[in-house]
Amino acid sequence: MRRFLSFIFVSLLSSCFIQSTTASADYHEQLVLRPLPLSALLASFNFRSNTTLSAFEAHNFRFFPRSLGQILQHAGTRELHLRFSLGRWDAESWGARPWDGAREGGTGVELWAWLEAETDDEADHKWLTLTNALSGLFCASLNFIDGTRTTRPVMSFQPEGDHPNSTVTNMHLLYGVLPHEVVCTENLTPFLKLLPCKGKAGIASLLDGHKLFDASWQSMAIDVRPVCPADGGECVLEIEQTIDMVLDIERSKRPRGNPIPRPLPGHELHCNSSKPYHAGDTCFPVDSIAHQDWSLSQLFGKTIKGTCPLTDPNTPPVCLQVPDSRAVSISEGAVEKKNGDRVSRCFDIPPEADFELALPRPEAPTSPPAQGESEDGIQLLIEEEVLVKPETPLLYAERSFTGHGQERGGVQTILRNPSPDTAVEFIYMESLPWFMRIYLHTMAARVEGQASHDNPSLIHEVYYRPAVDRARGTQLEVRMRVPPASTVFLTYDFEKSILRYTEYPPDANRGFDVAAAVITILAPGSGSESSESDGAGAGAGAGAGAGAGAGAGGGQQRRFAAAAYSLRTTSLLCSLPTPDFSMPYNVIIFTSTAIALCFGGMFNILVRRFVAADEGPKVGLGPALTKLGARLRPAFERLVRRKGRRGVDGVGGEKDL
Amino acid sequence: MNGGKAIVGRTSTRTAVLNLYLGAAVLRLALFTLFRGLPDLLTGRVEISTPVTSFKRLQEGLFLYNHNVSPYDGGVYHQAPLFLPLFSLLPDFSTLPVFTYLLYIAIDLLSANALLKIADAGEAGSSALFTSLRRDKRWSGLVVAAVFLFNPFTIATCIGRSTSVFTTCAILHAVAKAIAGAPFSAMVALSFAAYLSMYPLLLLPPLVLLSFDRQLPARATKSLAQFATSHVAIVGGVLAALFGMSYLITGSWEFLPSTYGVQLTLSDLAPNVGLWWYFFVEMFDSFRSFFLAVFWMHLSCYVGALTLRIRRQPLVVITLLMGIFNIFKPYPSISDSSLFLAMIPLYRHVFPLMRYTFLVAAIIMYTTFLGPAFYHLWIYAGSGNANFFYAITLVWGLGLSLLVCDLTFAVLRDEWEVERPEMVGKDIRQI
Amino acid sequence: MPSLISRGASRIRRDPRILKLPPYLSLLCILVGVVWLFLLPKNEYSRRTYISENALLPGQVHTYFGGSDQNVFRAYKHEVNALVHQSNIEINDKLESILKGLGLKVGRQNFTYHSAGHVYSGENTYAILQAPRGDATEAIVLVAAWKNAKGELNRNGVALLLTLARYFKRWSLWSKDIIFLLTPDSIAGPQAWVDAYHDAHDSSRVDSLPLKSGALQGAVAIDYVREDRFESVHIVYDGINGQLPNLDLINSVVNIAGGQMGMGTGLQEMWRHDDKYPDRLRTMLRGMLKQGLGLASGPHSSFIPYHVDAVTLQPFGNGWQDEMAMGRVIEGTFRSLNNLLEHLHQSFFFYLLMHPHRFVSIGTYLPSAMLVAANFTIMAIALWLKSGQPGLTSTSGKAENKKSDDEKSDSKTSSQTVERDLFLPLGFVTGCQFLSVVPLYLFNNAPDGMLTLAFITFAALNTILPHLSSHLLTKYYTPTIQQYQLIKSFSLLLLGMFLSSLATLNFSLALLVGLLACPLTFMQPWPRSPVMRGICMLLLDAVAPTSVLVAGAVYWDVSLGTVLREAAFAWDVSGMYSPVVVWCVWWPAWLAGSVTVLGKPPPTPSSGPKRKGEKKAEGVEGKPVSK
Repeated sequence: MRRFLSFIFVSLLSSCFIQSTTASADYHEQLVLRPLPLSALLASFNFRSNTTLSAFEAHNFRFFPRSLGQILQHAGTRELHLRFSLGRWDAESWGARPWDGAREGGTGVELWAWLEAETDDEADHKWLTLTNALSGLFCASLNFIDGTRTTRPVMSFQPEGDHPNSTVTNMHLLYGVLPHEVVCTENLTPFLKLLPCKGKAGIASLLDGHKLFDASWQSMAIDVRPVCPADGGECVLEIEQTIDMVLDIERSKRPRGNPIPRPLPGHELHCNSSKPYHAGDTCFPVDSIAHQDWSLSQLFGKTIKGTCPLTDPNTPPVCLQVPDSRAVSISEGAVEKKNGDRVSRCFDIPPEADFELALPRPEAPTSPPAQGESEDGIQLLIEEEVLVKPETPLLYAERSFTGHGQERGGVQTILRNPSPDTAVEFIYMESLPWFMRIYLHTMAARVEGQASHDNPSLIHEVYYRPAVDRARGTQLEVRMRVPPASTVFLTYDFEKSILRYTEYPPDANRGFDVAAAVITILAPGSGSESSESDGAGAGAGAGAGAGAGAGAGGGQQRRFAAAAYSLRTTSLLCSLPTPDFSMPYNVIIFTSTAIALCFGGMFNILVRRFVAADEGPKVGLGPALTKLGARLRPAFERLVRRKGRRGVDGVGGEKDL
Repeated sequence: MNGGKAIVGRTSTRTAVLNLYLGAAVLRLALFTLFRGLPDLLTGRVEISTPVTSFKRLQEGLFLYNHNVSPYDGGVYHQAPLFLPLFSLLPDFSTLPVFTYLLYIAIDLLSANALLKIADAGEAGSSALFTSLRRDKRWSGLVVAAVFLFNPFTIATCIGRSTSVFTTCAILHAVAKAIAGAPFSAMVALSFAAYLSMYPLLLLPPLVLLSFDRQLPARATKSLAQFATSHVAIVGGVLAALFGMSYLITGSWEFLPSTYGVQLTLSDLAPNVGLWWYFFVEMFDSFRSFFLAVFWMHLSCYVGALTLRIRRQPLVVITLLMGIFNIFKPYPSISDSSLFLAMIPLYRHVFPLMRYTFLVAAIIMYTTFLGPAFYHLWIYAGSGNANFFYAITLVWGLGLSLLVCDLTFAVLRDEWEVERPEMVGKDIRQI
Repeated sequence: MPSLISRGASRIRRDPRILKLPPYLSLLCILVGVVWLFLLPKNEYSRRTYISENALLPGQVHTYFGGSDQNVFRAYKHEVNALVHQSNIEINDKLESILKGLGLKVGRQNFTYHSAGHVYSGENTYAILQAPRGDATEAIVLVAAWKNAKGELNRNGVALLLTLARYFKRWSLWSKDIIFLLTPDSIAGPQAWVDAYHDAHDSSRVDSLPLKSGALQGAVAIDYVREDRFESVHIVYDGINGQLPNLDLINSVVNIAGGQMGMGTGLQEMWRHDDKYPDRLRTMLRGMLKQGLGLASGPHSSFIPYHVDAVTLQPFGNGWQDEMAMGRVIEGTFRSLNNLLEHLHQSFFFYLLMHPHRFVSIGTYLPSAMLVAANFTIMAIALWLKSGQPGLTSTSGKAENKKSDDEKSDSKTSSQTVERDLFLPLGFVTGCQFLSVVPLYLFNNAPDGMLTLAFITFAALNTILPHLSSHLLTKYYTPTIQQYQLIKSFSLLLLGMFLSSLATLNFSLALLVGLLACPLTFMQPWPRSPVMRGICMLLLDAVAPTSVLVAGAVYWDVSLGTVLREAAFAWDVSGMYSPVVVWCVWWPAWLAGSVTVLGKPPPTPSSGPKRKGEKKAEGVEGKPVSK
């Protein structure tokens, strides 16, 4: 990885130099291909274009995409980082991440930006504008990044660009993440639209939704930052678009017409013929290294259509990282240049002609492996000569839930430091939804194998901003270190709260996605000078941080040297207790009935007076009848009286009774 | 059986009382120390810990407070600010939990002591304005205290370290002081209760009446109005002082919305044994505030009615109100039930007039067992849904309200039989 | 509300005939409950199964497992055969190397359980196939135990799992991780793994898992021992403590097997099933028995308590289906589970299956258990009322000739009941409850060798105990008839309460215990007829927990030792709570019942010393739940 980077930087610096001399070359693009173990291939596309700040202010965007530029100006954005990611980087087998993890995000969409604003409210307002505009531009639901999903990280992120001190004072960092967002083709198209060549020519012509989103891991990044050349030249606003993807070679080589992995015909299986029982109908497969031969057209379904005419001619558009021993066949017209470090080579492409690159199958190991040797032994042996051995990352991180049930749970992050001698200091950042109520006092870090549950030397500093129901998510930043060659468990408990039934998504029982934790490893030595508090200072840090954090937000950022390496854990699925969504009316009725019963009962007892069972007015039919009788009697008597007066007409009187 | 400790007689001998307290304390301490997992298990139960009384939340608030983060700038801690200095005085819980245990045990014993005083004063049987015919049939304070101390609900609450025991203690002391003829300290105690969990403020009218009836003849104020105003003023003053202190402690007023606002608006819908949570989970957003108002009005409407109707026995009013709160307050827990059930034995003399004791006992026991089972089905097994637990809380509420009504009936009939002595034991009805 | 109740209540109090009704009422309840149960298999009461989670789409996809995968299967079969006589560790080494060769992440986990003096230990191996574009948020599990529940070697199952692992790796459509779990045995291994996966394990006995994935959405276990070709798939679905997986899972397996493979499905070891009443009834009763015992019936059982729906698939019958067909059934099931958007929650969790296509849901069958539980409660309430009746407190035989003057004094008795002397009954019932801890502890902690002996001694004691305690009771307290009524009332009340709570957790267990305990409802002292007393006592001894246990052991001819060891193992490892129900719910009630039978109350009813009654009475009234 280091080699990879050094090499990238070399090329970038060279290009920067050229750019500062010749104004024509404001656009660079490069594709780096890198076979990985287990028949995977890392393809990282990088496009960089820039325009001078003055021109930018004057709305004179040259290669800088106008649509984006106007949004940035409107929202007063000084620096912008946008990530669309899918899948997970398998550090165990693929090693360290491309760009040292600087160009990737957690699953879903991640956005952080430095906005220039006087007050927090103004910053929030601009942030709202920015997210809405971007969601329109990239067809992503970025507008769902509301107050509950926005945090103001204090330690984790540092501006990449060079900002004049005048603006630094009132730049606000806001960070939002949408873990549930599914990245797909509709996000790629606008992404390509931003390129000068619109994906018609140059390496961008390889990009195509089907392949990109079939990759095992892919990350699209957009970074906008002002850059001032070291030689004091005019500052430029630089936009860098990056696409990294890890293709499963076997899967990508399948013809698009027939993507179904039907079982191969028996004779095409790669069998381990050394097995005693090996026979025509019995085959012990050895297909882990079967797919180290590929060509661009096989993988991407097409070839590179020349170069983008606007690109800087001095940057080699395509580079490949395999040992120099391996033979590579390229289409005629292209020139291969070895890079000295015996693991990478680059190719210059003729501007018009298509470019095809093919790696033939590596010749099988000369001697059949000894009987005792296990398959993976052979595999390693072979990969040594086929691949550049991936370099181990600075830190392995794995996060998972503990406990079960929908009432409470815990989060456990396992951080493993592979290096035998150097400790790793880093900042662990979580931004959690409000309905996960975390209990900070249960947070503990312990080294594997050590009994002592809370080891104060591990956690240096905590910045904690608790969640507020329905208003704000939890923000937790922990600066900690992992001793060399050891594994640290970081754990804390949380409680799952039950929501109003209108607050659940349609697929309530799937659970809620919890964003990936961001781990920013500090460059060696950089953390120490800023660690005025350690050990018990965890609290103090928390105090200072959260106390102020409640008020001043991003204004009071802690300064650290640039991150050496950063990585994201996988996201999590948190299942909350769900009510019965079909019940509202029943519940309202039942509860009201219960209340009415109690109230009615009390009311009865309080207002009615006691009498003995045999006193007072009779209840039931009797009283009613007597009342009726009482009402009839006068009428009857009147009649009788009249009858008496009328005498003989009495019969008539009888009649009208 | 708790009854086993009982001794016959009007007043309880000192040694017996000491034995009782000792027994209760030892039992609790044993439960705390012998069963390691039990306290945390009980703290996690929704029947015991509500968002406004949970001990785990208290610990969180304490942690934030000790690391000078405002505990109220978050959705976790909803309890009174004065708990924070109180508990930060104790040794750290994670290392020396025993002190916390002792504190909780002490609080329980204090409550029991207050209850014992109340019972021995015999206020329940014969208040200033009313004397029951059956008053000579009552239990000694010892029995009443024993019933309270060995009630599984009380024990569970104590082991679960719910902070509602402090409210319970304050309320009982307020009543005890009022009966002892110390109105001022009664008011102070009540304002502490109100400060801790707001709803006891509704007990003010009957309590004022009680202390008015029982004030010492030496310095007695004749006019009720004057007495009431002065003592309401006292409560107001003490509350103001408490809020002032809280302000000094937390440095801002944001504890008010976070402590009392939560109870008023029910923003935290954690399940509990009450009727509110599921109602407002399922409530339509546009009607939420309306029904909140309705529920609170319903809760407070009993105060006036009961105070007027049973003017002659203010203690009865207080007891009944406790029962009502126990059913209808926003975040009820079994600790409120334990308080209510602790007051019931004071009315031993009207037990023969109660009609549904067995039914109520059966209902309460059934729900006590079915509630956890259904909660398990909903939350852990996943095979039941929320309606299971909701149904049980409904039945629980009905059972308790039946008890409240029955007690009211018995007491009123008792009053009535004073006017109509010949009716004792006769069949009666209400018109 | 009280005014509503008061009418009925007072009427009950008034009418002495009502007081003679309850025994018949309880009898009616029991009869109706049993009859109800036997009606269930009829078409009118059971329903045809259906899929309610539309996302499952069972059998909608074409399955491709087969062809050259069979060659691979044969190879893996050879590998497995080569491992037969090796140690658990060696086996796992080999399996791990194979799984690693497929490019999967492999983890291993040690576990050691102690139960009844035995040590059950082993090592699980599992591999995680990460969903190609997924993010470790959800996972499905495929389990193959090296030995199945009967202890037979599951060679085809393991080989099939390896082949499927290789096959699934080729697909790019998985939206959830797939975990392949290989355990040495069928109960302890999966239990250890699931506990550790949810961090519910005690780390002294069970290791934590080195690598984990997301929330488990479902699990399928393969139990494929036989070598020849088979006809149908046997679905085992009973979980621990009678919990069941979501009915949708079973339906989809039935649907896939029947629809695509043309394969039959069987339940509860009914190898032949004509969809007629007798077979349905037999299937249902077998299911209920399994559910009632609450034992783990396969590798899937341990998953269900964690709300992970799981089944075990076994081939049975002689037909033309081969391993590949079995593999395709599993492939189809996994494709269905893979389609799931939400955790299975739609269909039923409480059901009785009587045929792969017919079931009854809780609403239909719960009444039978509830009725049986209700008969105890009815009797308890009746006894309470009766014990409060002055004059009526003698045996019901005297009731008639007293009726006349009762009717005269109706208005008197109605509102005023005699003091009940509560202390002795409450104390006795509570004592029984506490005593029940003894057998529970004894049978769960005695070492294996001692178990049978301990049981025999306990059984012997158990026959003497009622006589002994009754003797002591009469000697020291001379309880009145009223007190006996109250003893019975309280114990029945508790029994009814426990059973009705249990019926919601484990219907079958509640029903079984309820039926076995129902004689207790009708027991009463026979002061003057020793014959009746003897008969009743014999009856009670016949339905005592101990004798029932012995009878069961004899019927299924397993040795008592095995039964007890199994019970202790299930209690220690899988947390089965049936022993608690037997010893702490059923046994105390039985004890109280038999003491009531043996009771010799003085013939002339006297309601005990007043003072005692007064000061103890708060037991129920002031403090309702003190029991």
